[in-house]
Amino acid sequence: MTEANGSTAKNPKVRVVIDGREIEATAGAPLLEAALDNGIEIPHYCYHPKLSIDGSCRMCQVQIQGQKKLAIACNTPCTEGLVVDTRSDEVADARRGVMELLLVNHPLDCPICDQAGECYLQDYSFEHGSHHARTTAPRRKGLKRVPIGPRVVFDQERCILCRRCVRFTNEISETNELRVFGIGDTSYIGTLEGRPLDNPYSVNVADVCPVGALLSSDFHHKRRVWFLEETESVCPGCSNGCNIKIGAFREEIQRLVPRRNDAVNETWMCDAGRLGYGFVGAADRIREARVCDDQGQQVVALDAAITAAAAALRRVREEHGAGAIGIVASGHLTNEEYFRLAGLARETLTTVSVDLAVPLGEGDDFLIRADKAANARGAREMGLVPGEAGRDLAGILNAVEAGEIRLLWIIGSKDFEAVVGTERALAIAGRLETLILQDVQPSGLSDKATIQLPGATWAEKAGTFTNYVGRVQRIRPAVHSPEGVLLDGEIFAALTGALSGRAAVPFVPSSVFDEIAAAVGAYAGLAHQSLGGAGTNPADVTEGVG
Amino acid sequence: MSVTASAPRFLLPPDSEIWTSLEVYREHGGYAAAETAIRSIAPAAIADEVKASGLRGRGGAGFATAMKWSFLPKDGSRPRYIACNADESEPGTFKDRQIMERNPHRLLEGLLIAGFASAIDAAYIYVRGEYRTAYDALRRAIADAHAAGLLGKNIFGSGFDFEIHVHRGAGAYICGEETGLMESLEGRKGQPRKRPPFPAISGLWKRPTIINNVETMSHVPGIIANGAAAFRAVGTEKSSGTTIFGISGNVQRPGAYELPLGTPLREIIFEHAGGLLPGRTIKAVIPGGVSMPVLTAEQAMAVTMDHDALQAVGSLLGTGAIIVLDDQQCLVRAAAVIAKFYRVESCGQCTQCREGTGWLHKLLLKVESGAGSGADLEAIEDVARFMEGHTICGLSDAAAWASGWFLRRFRGEFEAHLEGRGCPHDATSFEI
Ligand SMILES: Cc1cc2nc3c(=O)[nH]c(=O)nc-3n(C[C@H](O)[C@H](O)[C@H](O)COP(=O)(O)O)c2cc1C
Ligand code: SF4
Ligand code: SF4
Ligand code: SF4
Ligand code: FES
Repeated sequence: MTEANGSTAKNPKVRVVIDGREIEATAGAPLLEAALDNGIEIPHYCYHPKLSIDGSCRMCQVQIQGQKKLAIACNTPCTEGLVVDTRSDEVADARRGVMELLLVNHPLDCPICDQAGECYLQDYSFEHGSHHARTTAPRRKGLKRVPIGPRVVFDQERCILCRRCVRFTNEISETNELRVFGIGDTSYIGTLEGRPLDNPYSVNVADVCPVGALLSSDFHHKRRVWFLEETESVCPGCSNGCNIKIGAFREEIQRLVPRRNDAVNETWMCDAGRLGYGFVGAADRIREARVCDDQGQQVVALDAAITAAAAALRRVREEHGAGAIGIVASGHLTNEEYFRLAGLARETLTTVSVDLAVPLGEGDDFLIRADKAANARGAREMGLVPGEAGRDLAGILNAVEAGEIRLLWIIGSKDFEAVVGTERALAIAGRLETLILQDVQPSGLSDKATIQLPGATWAEKAGTFTNYVGRVQRIRPAVHSPEGVLLDGEIFAALTGALSGRAAVPFVPSSVFDEIAAAVGAYAGLAHQSLGGAGTNPADVTEGVG
Repeated sequence: MSVTASAPRFLLPPDSEIWTSLEVYREHGGYAAAETAIRSIAPAAIADEVKASGLRGRGGAGFATAMKWSFLPKDGSRPRYIACNADESEPGTFKDRQIMERNPHRLLEGLLIAGFASAIDAAYIYVRGEYRTAYDALRRAIADAHAAGLLGKNIFGSGFDFEIHVHRGAGAYICGEETGLMESLEGRKGQPRKRPPFPAISGLWKRPTIINNVETMSHVPGIIANGAAAFRAVGTEKSSGTTIFGISGNVQRPGAYELPLGTPLREIIFEHAGGLLPGRTIKAVIPGGVSMPVLTAEQAMAVTMDHDALQAVGSLLGTGAIIVLDDQQCLVRAAAVIAKFYRVESCGQCTQCREGTGWLHKLLLKVESGAGSGADLEAIEDVARFMEGHTICGLSDAAAWASGWFLRRFRGEFEAHLEGRGCPHDATSFEI
């Protein structure tokens, strides 16, 4: 995929004065970009940092010293000594003009528009507009609330024709579904017959759309955005680790949106990741602990289930040795949790049959990775690898079938089932003495669990994920776990306590991270608090410390 | 100055003649200038001669032609192109058509000389879609010139290769704007490009490109044949040579007249175009196509048709297309008709133009119908101000000038329509 604005990294720095303030900018970079990067707001619609320059909305006009006419800041390259005035009367009048003209045909249906509250048209209208409408002529009519693709709704009347969406499908998704039809004031955005907006990144057009013309179908009429509590996090969908914001309302996730990180996902995320949060609040989510007795699975309190799990682990280990225990985890836990789990396996249980089950799906050459878990790399770096002479997943399965492994502890049995296949997974379950499942979502194995521990989702946790290139990124809790559910790391802490006979050490992600930094070579020098919003590549830190 | 049959003609054959055939054109000295230039004049000297002639663009903006050519990169990189603007869509304008239909080789010869002067590989003539006759004449002329070795490889044995292609437009005014033309020629929707980059650096297919009007290019052979001084001897100091004035509207003999720049507008109306219909008086005159600010009768009677004089009275020469409106015409209607033109021809990229052209049209219809008020006149002024000088191309400015200047110069007539009074003119005025 193309980098729209090209790389200006090699160009020299120049000094530009904006409203009397001197800033340093890259020679040739768009003046608007330089201003925004330095916290100087110049209103704009068609400009987007990750799309080519369009220059059509004319909102970003500024006065450049020595030029007669106003210039658009988005198409003005930074040059040494450029002196810019963004506040002159002429600039204000030009902005007022763009605002009034954008609104002459606008439906003004803010009360029912999902964009309200994060709408450029509203915001700039308030700041740069005229606060009263003087047109009485009928406004242009257009399509309302029509699907323009399976995941995006379109409201033609609200469109301001900034063409960000068109450029997105030309330059980023490279699928070219959207274009401008018609000319003049009959122009409209549309698709060709039989070619709806349907690509793996389609919902990003709703993010780039500065108004409420393109909207995520999933979020459509769901919640006023000002009621959302937004939490910075990372997408759990694959190992790319796209940076996101989780928008929640009363303990319920309403949407995920991408958060800019030029090193990872720029400003984008895939549709599958964006829409993949449903399991968090799903009706069939595993919320209860169960333990099997003669009559079958019984709902019990979580601590009773943990006690039962500890007892089973102890018994098998005592009766058959550590080699009779196998642990298979998904790639969805945090580094801190894996670190505790690895410690529990290695030191307390001394089992060496530990591995991951990460399902593979489709990947591409942009964001989407084939391995569908956010933290497989972190898991391995935390020690979730078969110990010396230990068994990997294939070995564990064989050992179960051979009757050598009698207790299997699966964390994330849905992924396990996906990797192993339902039939074999069920056969494996049938061979076991004890099957401990620690799950968020039900799987074909759920019925077969001897002990079921409810797990927590990434949206409920603090901690870190390490993406496929080794970038360590923080996640933060956006919602609470259901009543009575512990974080997976807390379960590991409780089990470690129970099995070692010592008082359980509370699970505090930030201190676990410090332990990781001290213990795991690649993480040396990282401090939890200093992992900013954008995360850190350990390699960069090492070089920096170097 | 007065009407003289002997006024010099640089562009058009005598009224009774058509020089579409190559033989006829050569009988009148055709391609001699090209041959001299290519065989024996250094490219730089050709450009110098054009510079000395003071030739200014005839497409509307009056930009100095040699100066435009000088913006091409000096690195000798190829290919580079000429885009020749034959879209001629400015309402009231029908001058390039005269050249293409009656003297097409003149244009080809101009392109050839300009091409040689600037080391150009090929010229593309973008012809207005409705100009079928002009298109056919150009096609034939190109084929004939090719057959005669005047185009193609190794022209005049000089080693210079040059091709001319013709492309028909599909009827959009905006494809006459130079970068809209290039988009259209490249096969996309005709929408002007933001600048920078300018065409001389990145034009057709992102290559250096000269863009000139048909008439501009057609002046080049005469300048080379007769010398810059002969060209300068006609016209005024800052507006040299002749141009083809197209005059239409309420005159007796509308038509195209090749005359020196600087000819008094009064002379063109009353002598060349035969004056008004009996009993009528002039109310307003648009001097350079509808994009240029309208003049009052008083201004029109005093002005000469050259760049400086028109600028001095608050208008512009534009394409030299004169539209005369007599006392029977409703100027609010005239303004509304013009506003509608811009509304349907705006490409729709820029906010001010897309929304402003539509709003201006609606406001003018409202005023014309009698439903308007003082606030609507104020809105017209504001919208025109918002639209002017703030967009990608000049269409928005043109639309703003048209409505804005009709209102400013004829406010009384607008006010007479307000508060339910409606149009005081009868149905002989414009259809809207
Ligand atoms: C909306 C618009 C329409 C135009 N239409 C024409 C046209 O039909 N023919 C033309 O020669 N120039 C037209 N122009 C001017 C061209 O952009 C350009 O300035 C001209 O072709 C340059 O040639 P010249 O320097 O020889 O005059 C138009 C400009 C605008 C803004
Ligand atoms: S739909 Fe949105 S992004 Fe697309 S052109 Fe309209 S306003 Fe811009
Ligand atoms: S590419 Fe991967 S990390 Fe990014 S949004 Fe999609 S699933 Fe999530
Ligand atoms: S000024 Fe009008 S015609 Fe010109 S580019 Fe802008 S919208 Fe298109
Ligand atoms: S942001 Fe610069 S013109 Fe739209």
